[in-house]
This record gives sequence, structure tokens and C-alpha cells, in this order.
Amino acid sequence: MRSFSIEVGQQRWLFSLLLGLVVLLSLTPSLRLLLEALRDVDQGVDSPVWRVLTSASTWRALWHSLYTSALGMLIALLLGGVFAFVITLTDVRGKSWLVFCFMLPMMIPPQITALSWLQLFGPASPLLNSLGIAPALGSPQPLYSAQGIGVLLGIQSAPLVFLALRTSLLSLPRELVEAARISGAVPIQVWWQMILPICRSGLIAGGAMAFISSLGNFGIPAMLGIPAGYYVLPTLIYQRMASFGTGVLAEMAALSLLIGLLALAGVALQQHLLGRSRFGLVGHSGRPHGFVLGRWRGGVEALLMAVLAVILVAPLAALAVSSLVPAMGVPLTLESASLGAFHEMLGRQGVTRRAMRNSLWLAGGAALVLMALCLPLAYHLQRLPRRWQGMVLSTIEVPYALPGVVLAIACILLFVRPLPLVHVTLYGTLGLIFIAYLARFLVVCLKPVAASLAQLDPSLEEAAQLAGAGPWRRLANIVLPLMAPALFAGAMLVFLLAVNELTVSALLWSAGNETLGVLIFNLDESGESVLASALAVLVVALVAGLMLALNLLASRLPRGVIPWKD
Amino acid sequence: MTRLALPFALSLLLGSALTQAQAETLVLYTSQPNSDAQQTVDAFQAIHPEIEVEWVRDGTPRLMTRLLSELQAGVAKPDLLLIADSVTMESLKQEGLLQPYLSDAREHYSPDLYDAEGYYYGTKLITTGIVHHNRAEHAPTSWQELASPEYAGQVTMPSPLYSGAALIHLAALTEVPELGWDYYEALAANRTEAQGGNGGVFNDVASGAKPYGIVVDYLPIRESAKGSPVTFVFPEEGVSAVTEPVAILEGANNPEAARKFVDFLLSRQGQQLVSQQGYLPALEGVEPPEGFPARDEITLMPLDVARTLENAEAQQRRFSELFGG
Repeated sequence: MRSFSIEVGQQRWLFSLLLGLVVLLSLTPSLRLLLEALRDVDQGVDSPVWRVLTSASTWRALWHSLYTSALGMLIALLLGGVFAFVITLTDVRGKSWLVFCFMLPMMIPPQITALSWLQLFGPASPLLNSLGIAPALGSPQPLYSAQGIGVLLGIQSAPLVFLALRTSLLSLPRELVEAARISGAVPIQVWWQMILPICRSGLIAGGAMAFISSLGNFGIPAMLGIPAGYYVLPTLIYQRMASFGTGVLAEMAALSLLIGLLALAGVALQQHLLGRSRFGLVGHSGRPHGFVLGRWRGGVEALLMAVLAVILVAPLAALAVSSLVPAMGVPLTLESASLGAFHEMLGRQGVTRRAMRNSLWLAGGAALVLMALCLPLAYHLQRLPRRWQGMVLSTIEVPYALPGVVLAIACILLFVRPLPLVHVTLYGTLGLIFIAYLARFLVVCLKPVAASLAQLDPSLEEAAQLAGAGPWRRLANIVLPLMAPALFAGAMLVFLLAVNELTVSALLWSAGNETLGVLIFNLDESGESVLASALAVLVVALVAGLMLALNLLASRLPRGVIPWKD
Repeated sequence: MTRLALPFALSLLLGSALTQAQAETLVLYTSQPNSDAQQTVDAFQAIHPEIEVEWVRDGTPRLMTRLLSELQAGVAKPDLLLIADSVTMESLKQEGLLQPYLSDAREHYSPDLYDAEGYYYGTKLITTGIVHHNRAEHAPTSWQELASPEYAGQVTMPSPLYSGAALIHLAALTEVPELGWDYYEALAANRTEAQGGNGGVFNDVASGAKPYGIVVDYLPIRESAKGSPVTFVFPEEGVSAVTEPVAILEGANNPEAARKFVDFLLSRQGQQLVSQQGYLPALEGVEPPEGFPARDEITLMPLDVARTLENAEAQQRRFSELFGG
């Protein structure tokens, strides 16, 4: 009895600490924003909130945001869903390569994705010109539209859906499906009555992540929307900030409240749906069932390859072509090809090495810290009353749902003065970007862990508790090994998102603290697309190299730890 | 507990380690394209190897937003600014953010290129004209032509909300009686696209997304020499120009080194570098780069700096209403 009360006391204390951290990370910037947004609200018509709410451009941008994000989510669910089901549950060949390639689009910075697609479809497209089907000079670019934005957002966030779904599919015990097949169920029944219900939580989590990340995406709507005068909320905020400076901070804070509310509504809906799809599963995770495709296999494989060719190979080829030409608009031939851009970026620009170092430190640090935070956090979150769970999760969701530009401004407001006690001014340092990243990507790491923890059979832990194992021991010996794949998948996601992050660092970088995303964006903006493409090629090569290095380690890691390895 | 404390302490440690300022460097904020900025810095360091220069590149309006928020936080880093236009410099001077320096090199320059009290000095001339793709149907020769029906939906230009040069261009054109705001309204009615900076406009024309563009001179002239399929035109009504001025900040940590940098930019050697990079040098008698007409053949539109400064925000808002954003 006494040991039980000690255990509860310990847990409560630990959880208060965790919750404090989460609130510090997630809520403080938002509250600071709220204060800024509601300044002078008593002045009625003259208050920033009123001005924003009565402006037609606000509502137009809000509708555009909803439309493009919903379209992006649907496309991401379709793409991610097809890949997750086929790769996890059937006997197609070359799975690890297929997954590897499918994960790549997420690592290419969104503005580069947009740039390379524009290269693919523009009147000067090297590909279309060589096929003789290039549109006439100055003909409208099909991508400069809401649909163009939606399609690219979908491709960009499809890996999020894929990972979330795969995590829950891996927890599908083989015994269940086998039992059904023995009882005479046809495959379609197994799909419809067993697999779909079990992976519903993964679908919902993935869809929500895709929607929210599309909502806050800046690179794609900036490249495809601004030229067409099609503004979504993040680009509207960015445009206003760039034009009118800090004078409109209060109005921008009010605008970002809108996005915050939108995201919270999304999270609340997700919580509601997730709450209705809980299962306790018995058995081992990481042993997916194999459906035999038989004579369909070749066709399915060809289909997957074709999709990958469109979403990955073609844009990357366009990017590589752009990095090898001496100037924009010059067609690539054997004579015109040059490595000048690579030489300039690697040999002469000192800023390249600095940006690489900064980005790797930030992304690696954020991934490690969040990995350590997420497991205990998710574990205790599960033990909270349902109502509280939703509230804490919504809190964590906020910094990720806010467009990066806005989170950055909130961080500036917060850290502009020296910190109490230690008297360090974080403003204008890498430390500030690091803190912003922790706040922003906490939810990315937590989602797969929470989704996978929700599927964990509680009887395993109860047995250990009866045998006298304390909470830490249970966490380390039972929960951690079972959660390892989800945890690592979360950390990987954080790293991949952070290493190319642009919108937060776009406002927080300062002399000597550039990140790769900022560098590529600045190069592109100053008209040096060739240099930007060269750097982007290097970044893609770097990340692909890191993934390959992980592949080499795969044999020493627990099974299922690396998302694209079975 | 230790599991949690460690990363938290680590992050604090990381934060504090990264706040250590670097000693004895000159920090430059510039709106020059990256490769040009690096070249300028390299040439300066070849003469003054004892001075380490760290530079940051961004569009002029955003550089100003950054500078003002850094000043409010009391962590402003730059010693020097090298940005697009003198109107921005004039506003910084009026706010007391710059310090004067009377460089001996100024006597070789025309007085309208620098501030009489020595607060800022123009370093080059960047004019704004028309660029067209070599496969385009027409070869426009005047501003007026771009508002005619055959150019409907075919023209792209930089937005004064993003680009210092574009704001000056707007101010200059709206002062010309034959053009004025009517001209901009005609452009808007002609579905002319106003997007971000000059770089984006140039890329659109070079890649064929739009056949015609309004853009700064050096991008098309320099890139067409490398094989880019574009041609630059100086329209007959004249061109607007910015001078890319340099200035030393009031709160510069290293004013001595900053003055050396200003002297270098204004020296003949510095101006020859400007010409090599493909810009019109500010110093008379330095050979302009290939592809430029002689200096006296270029008609410059007049610009009233004080008036432009006064109207800047109103002009931006009016533009924003016309072209969205």
C-alpha cells in the first residue's frame, strides 16, 4: 500500500514537471501573441482585431487556406494510404527502396519543390521542349492556381500520412488476420472489417498532420500563389510583415489567432474521432501480414514506380538540370553544362558551410531532446482523464499549427529582453531558433508515439505491475521496446522537417546564424536560382546520404526502428 | 528525472554557448545578391586581411524590419549597411540611426550621389528598364507600350512592397506627367503581374513563364552574356535609378574598420570591381561593363528624395490596393 502511494506521488510530480515544460514550450508564445492581438480591443472599431475581421482579404485568405489544405490532405491521404497499405501488407518487391523514395519528397524544401515543378511545366521546361510539347511562350502556368498549390501540398505531406498509417498497420497482429482467413473471410472482408477499423487512428492522425502542416506551409503557396495574387493566411501575414514591418504586428497576431482557432478545431475533431476508435490488441507488433498479390504483383509494382517517377524523379531531374546550366533559361546541352554553381557554393561562399553546420545542429538537437521528452509525456498523457488529454494535446498542437512566421514573431516578442536569473539575451542567437523548433516540432514527435501507445495492450503493463515493477522500470523494459519504432519515426520526422525548415528561421536568423532553408530561399529571391538549385541538390544528397547511413545501421537496431525497413 | 534534466540542461547550455559574440569582426547588412556580396568582401579582405567581414543578405525592406527589431532588443549587430536606395537611408538618417563620415574620396563624385553631411554614399547606378525573352513577339521600346492590349497578361514586375528599387521606380514614374498613377492603373487593368523581388521577375522572363518584365538592368545584361535568352531595353521615356548607398550605423561596434570599408567601395579599385560585377559604376571615368550604353546616353528620370520618403507608405498602400497583396 505504501509503495503504491509513493509511486503515485512520483508520477504526479514528474507529470507536473513535464506539463510545466509543455506549457512553457507551447502556450507561452501563443499567450504572448494573444496579448498582442487583443491590444486596445476596447477601442472597438480602431482595434487591430476589428480591422482584421472586417477586411475582405482576411476572409478570402482564410477560405483559400482551408481549400488548399483540405485538397492537400485528401491527396496526401490517397498517396500515403496506397503506399502504406501496399508496402506494409502485401508481397511487392523492393519495399525498402520504394519507401525510401517515397519519404524523399518530404525532405526537399517546399520552395524548391515548387520551383522544380514550375521548371517542369513552364514554357521553358527542358523536358517538354525536348519532347516538342512545350506550351507557347507566356501561356498561363497551370501550377499558379489553388489546385496547383493543393497538389504540391499533398505530395509534400503524403509521407506524414504514410508514417502514421504504417505505424498502426505494423501493430496489426498477424494472428488476427490468419484467424479470419481460416474462418473463411475473403480478402475484401478482412480489409473492410479488420484492417480499416484498426488503422483508423493512424488515418486520422496522419490526415490531421497533413492538414495542419499544409495549413502552415509557406514555401509552396508563396512560390505558386503570390505571383497569381492568390493569398493564403501565412503568405498574407508574410507579405504584410515584409511591407509594413513591425508596425502591423498586432494585426498579424490577430490574423494568426484565426489560424490557431482553425487548427484547434481540427485537433478537437481528430480527438473526437480518435476517442471512438480504440482497440486493445494482443500480440506482437512489427510482424505485418503478407497478402499474396500473385499475378497482380507486376502491375502494382509498376503503378507505384510510375507514381514515384511523377512525384520524385521528374522534379529532381528538373532541379539537377537547373543546377547545371550557366544561367537561367539556357537549355542544358553537353556544351552548356557547367559545375560553376557547385564550385561557387562550396568553394567561395563561406556562408554555405556555416548554414550546413547550423541546420544539422538544430535539427539533430531538436530530434534528440524531443525523443527524450515524448515517451514519458505520451505515457502520462494516456493516463489523464479524456477531457484533459484533449486540452494538453491541443496546447501542443498550437505552435505547429501556427504559421512559422507567426511563431517566430511570438518568440521575438518573448525573448527580446534578457532572460531573468541568467541574464542572457537569446534574441539574435541560434538558441532562439532551437527553442522555437522544440515548440514547433513537439507534436510531430508525439503524434506517432501517442497513436502507437493507444494501441498498446494494457495487460502487459498490468502484469508487470503485479509482479512489482515500478513505473520507470515498466517504461524502460516494456513500453520503450514496444514504442521504439514509433519513437524513432517521430525523431526522424522532426529531423527531416527541421533540417530544411524555412518559415521560423526566415524571421529569426541573424548574422552568422543562417539555416539551409534561409540560404536557399535568399539565393532564390535574389535571382540566383541556379545557385539555389545547386545547394538544394546538395541538401537532397546530404539527407539521402544520412538515410543510407541509417540503412547500414539497421542490422544493429531493434526491428521496426527505421521506418522504411521491415 | 535525470533523463529529462539532461536534455533540458543541454539545451540551455547550447543556447548560452551560442550566444557568445565573435570578437573583432565587421558586420555588413546588404541587399546585393550573394555572389556579388562575397566578391566585394573578398576584395576588401585582400587589402585588409586583419579585418574579418561577416555579411547578411536580404531584400531591403526586410533587412530594415530586421534591423529595427534588433535595435529595439538592443542586440543590433551590423556596423554597415549597403542597401538598394537612398530613400531608405534618408529615413534612417532622420531617425538618427546613422553616423556621418566625410570620406576623402567624395570629391571625385557628383554631389547628387552622396549625402552632403556624409551620412551615406551611392556606390553604383542600378537602373530599372524592360527585359524581354528573345522568342517574344514584340520588342518594346517604351513604358507606355506595356499598357497596350497586345501585352495583356504578358508582363511581370517587382512589387514595391518587396523591393527598394521597385519603390523608387514607382515614385519616379508617378512623377512623370505623361505616365503617373494612370499608367499603373492601366498596367493593373492589363493584368500585369506584380510579384516579389527583381530576381523572381528575371527568372520568370528567362524561363519563359512571362515574355516581358520590368527589371533592374544588371540581371539581364549579365546573364545574357552567359547565354540567358533575354534582351534588356532602356525605354525612351527614361529609366529610374537607385544608387545602392553605403552607410555606417550610429551604434557600430567597429567604426574604424567600417570607414575603411566605405573608403574601399568609393576607391577606383572598388569601382572597377563594381564594373566587373556587371553594374554601372558611380565614379565617372570608370569603364562601364559590356552591354551597357555610355553613361551620357542613359536618360534618368528625376527623383525628389524628400517627397518620395514622405509618400512612401501611401504609395505602397495604393499599389497594394491596385495589385492585391
